[in-house]
Amino acid sequence: MREHVLVLDGATGTELQKRGMPLGVCPEQWVLDNPGVLVAIQKEYRDAGSDVVYTCTFGGNRIKLAEFGLGDKTREINQCLAELSRKAMGKDGLVAGDLAPTGQFIKPFGNVPFEDAVDVYKEQVRGLLDGGVDFFVIETMMDIQEARAALLAVKESCDLAVCVSMTFDQAGKTLTGTDPVTALITLQALGADAVGCNCSTGPQDMLNIISAMRPYARIPLLAKPNAGLPKLIDGKTVFDMMPDKFGSFMLSFISQGVGLIGGCCGTSPEYIKQIRSQVTRMKPVPPDPKRIFAVNSARKTVFAGSDRPLVVIGERINPTGKQKMQEELKEGKTLEVKKFAQEQIEKGASILDVNVGMPGINERDTMIKIVEQLSAIAEAPLCLDSASPEVLEAALRMYPGRALINSISGEKSKLKKLLPLAAKYGAAFILLPLSEKGVPETAEERIQIIENVFAEAQKFGYQKHDFVVDGLVMTVSSDQKAAQETLKVISWCTNMFGCNTVVGLSNVSFGLPERGWINATFLAMAAGHGLTMVIANPSNDMLMRIKMASDVLTSRDPNSMRYIGFCWENKEEAERPRTHKRVLKPAEQLYDAVLMGDRDNIRTLLDAALREGLSASDAVEQRLIPAIMQVGILYEKKIYYLPQLIQSAETLKDAFEILEPLLAPGKKSGRKKAIVVLATVKGDIHDIGKNIVALMLRNYGFTVHDLGKDVPAEEIIRKATETKADIVGLSALMTTTMVEMKQVIDHARKSNLGSRFMVGGAVVNEHYAKEIGADGYAKDAHAAVKLAESLAKNTGDKQGGSE
Amino acid sequence: MSSVTYIEHLPAVPKRRRILNRLGYQEQMTVLDNEQARFLDQGIKQGLLLCQVQGVFGRFKISKRSPETVELDSGLIFKSRQLARMLVSSDEMVLMASTAGKEVTNRISFEIAQGNPALGVIFDAVASQAADAGLDSISKMLNTLLAKEGKRLLRRRFSPGYGDLSLCYQRILFDLLKLEKLELNLTETFMIVPEKSVLAITGIQGIKP
Repeated sequence: MREHVLVLDGATGTELQKRGMPLGVCPEQWVLDNPGVLVAIQKEYRDAGSDVVYTCTFGGNRIKLAEFGLGDKTREINQCLAELSRKAMGKDGLVAGDLAPTGQFIKPFGNVPFEDAVDVYKEQVRGLLDGGVDFFVIETMMDIQEARAALLAVKESCDLAVCVSMTFDQAGKTLTGTDPVTALITLQALGADAVGCNCSTGPQDMLNIISAMRPYARIPLLAKPNAGLPKLIDGKTVFDMMPDKFGSFMLSFISQGVGLIGGCCGTSPEYIKQIRSQVTRMKPVPPDPKRIFAVNSARKTVFAGSDRPLVVIGERINPTGKQKMQEELKEGKTLEVKKFAQEQIEKGASILDVNVGMPGINERDTMIKIVEQLSAIAEAPLCLDSASPEVLEAALRMYPGRALINSISGEKSKLKKLLPLAAKYGAAFILLPLSEKGVPETAEERIQIIENVFAEAQKFGYQKHDFVVDGLVMTVSSDQKAAQETLKVISWCTNMFGCNTVVGLSNVSFGLPERGWINATFLAMAAGHGLTMVIANPSNDMLMRIKMASDVLTSRDPNSMRYIGFCWENKEEAERPRTHKRVLKPAEQLYDAVLMGDRDNIRTLLDAALREGLSASDAVEQRLIPAIMQVGILYEKKIYYLPQLIQSAETLKDAFEILEPLLAPGKKSGRKKAIVVLATVKGDIHDIGKNIVALMLRNYGFTVHDLGKDVPAEEIIRKATETKADIVGLSALMTTTMVEMKQVIDHARKSNLGSRFMVGGAVVNEHYAKEIGADGYAKDAHAAVKLAESLAKNTGDKQGGSE
Repeated sequence: MSSVTYIEHLPAVPKRRRILNRLGYQEQMTVLDNEQARFLDQGIKQGLLLCQVQGVFGRFKISKRSPETVELDSGLIFKSRQLARMLVSSDEMVLMASTAGKEVTNRISFEIAQGNPALGVIFDAVASQAADAGLDSISKMLNTLLAKEGKRLLRRRFSPGYGDLSLCYQRILFDLLKLEKLELNLTETFMIVPEKSVLAITGIQGIKP
């Protein structure tokens, strides 16, 4: 690969179809039944100029073969197919063992356990090795995690070279959302010998993908574009680019660092001839990567450097001192962790530190669970923080990106265990300059440890931009020179050694009052010395403001745009208009409290208003009822939406509960006492709408018997009879279950039940209500209250009122 | 051959506008003060965290058709004139399902029972939209995969219980997609549990040159 550009083959599947392979068969089996066809195709590729052909094992993994009942023959099939390709290429040509997607999604995105996926590929790798392949190609990968599983499978099985090529859509993302740079950084860190792209696009769009990868590639790139865009004509997929046009892109690919080039769907030996004619005797352009620190999740890469904005590593995902998180982790729940992740990202954290060390849990299992969850929902890369090498290995193995390890120190035993681990999974790491003797007091001693660790790390291929040095912040309350020593380390790393630095802030102020001032000032000083990352709580506004300001003052925020944007957002927050309710008297505020759904303050306001002389009945008649009437009007006009309506009704309910004992008997101030039986009809399990109706009716003074969901007609009738219900409310969401409403009403009429019926639900309407003999239809909870009031009044007129 | 693919974490972000619509919010009409806006924002965020949108899809060859039926190569027959019309130019049927998960469904009931119904209805709207967004996400993935074959999904989706396709086909979809793997259940009346789950049928067609 370093000597000359390698020409790969073109499409195999479409060539097999041209020569008689029917659609829908297992290609691997068909080729074994018709070996001469594949040998002929591959010889044609060789004669056209391919240095390499891929084995015809695209669907040769156990999961794909099992679809054709051939799972148990995986190894044998792969061996035979590799031998066929070897026969076609002879001694001089190269055969690449082809691994491709299983068609399933791997955890954390899918349901296939990561180790199962690794094992599936290892089985295929063994067969291909038996067949004598020269190296491996993992191709057409749409999920970075599946590509990682295949890559690890090869690397744990043999020492042969392995290339990985991903497939990106027109937006430049894989199916699971990985961009080309993130894919490249993840895969080259994990040990791929070449990374690139195949299928998905024609050469023009693929050039854009390759160009995006080029600045960060330490290894040769690979490109295998389609022959233009696919179209379905007469039931066949065809591609629209001719061989000469296709060939015209080749020099551009080579200039962008492509060292392996071929064709994918729609290409044939004719296309390979064009490639060969363009690249003969060309040497690959060597990689020239930017020397920049990068870590990534599956969907986002974060860069760091002294010319880039200070990176905040959010420190909050740590159970220490967080009782709720501790309880959740013990119960195997992750909501609190997800909340902290979301909040920290919103507040400006670019990387999330994850530490789940606490007594009473299995740290390894918990770490895996959290990493799985966060990998799936959060774009921010993770900083895996554990003292246990076993926990770190488990997390690194399944993390679908390039993680940051927190941390590796100069202690020999730790170095021996952790450096190989970090290198195997391609992780970046925080270098902690301490040794078996503890934390050195002086910067000079720490620098010595940094140099020692770097020397060891180099043996595993690490460069200076693959780790970040922790300046080791010590407590200034016990030694005021401690901060200066940390700053010296930061300064040396930045200006002399040339690596990135990080500090964990809070230790500096331990034991002092008003610690925030010390932390913030130290952050500003460290930033001035070149600090590139800080482990902190991004919800601390003062720290984040200093970070934004220091980015400007250290020329890391071109045109101060980020700072201006940050200030604008915060200004907007501070200057939002306040509501007027706080300046009114308590009695006046009662109206607003219901109007605004202010449940937190209704009791205080009522107490104050009553103390000031407002009577309970006046509170109801002059404040609360007018307020809830106004809420109804606002809701009807769509000025209010459902949660506001509910909050106001709940506030009213709270107020009534307080006032009820103070109201004169028989004078319940307009509160209705009609009895309502509510149910979601038999066969239907949807009940939120009915629940909200129940709640609203109760808040308006109705006595509600809510029978729940999936309720048989007999039970509804029985309850209505037993309670002498004025109204029966029926709910159904589906067309298939709304018919049950008629059954209930018919049953009621036969039983001479005097109750009035109201119906509602997504598929019900006024017309249907009339058709089944209901007394009314309500489209929502507010309409249900109004209808119930009307029906109750009519019932009262007819029956002489109810309790 | 047909195969079924499961996704444990679908990148399904429901559109905020659709969540608000479900709650009766109307652009340029509904007015929220700072606290209410914050309550809504927090509710939506928390609701999204409670959802774990999972999905599944499978491609199934259509072997026969009539104006009233569609038959898969497994011999399964769907009797529906409307479905047959929708799939008239498709050689393959795609079945898909998406769920917002148990946690959010349980939490909706919990919040309503605990006296926080306003939060409960926000979670309900988020979960409903999250399940729908799951189907959108599956469609997007499938279209990416199909583009390589010069194909795409039909724009329309159909579900049992709509039009003339009986709800009892929920059982067939449930079994073909093995929805128990997503911890879903089906009631005797063909309702999916947990409630915030959706099933859909669509077809595959060629991209016109």
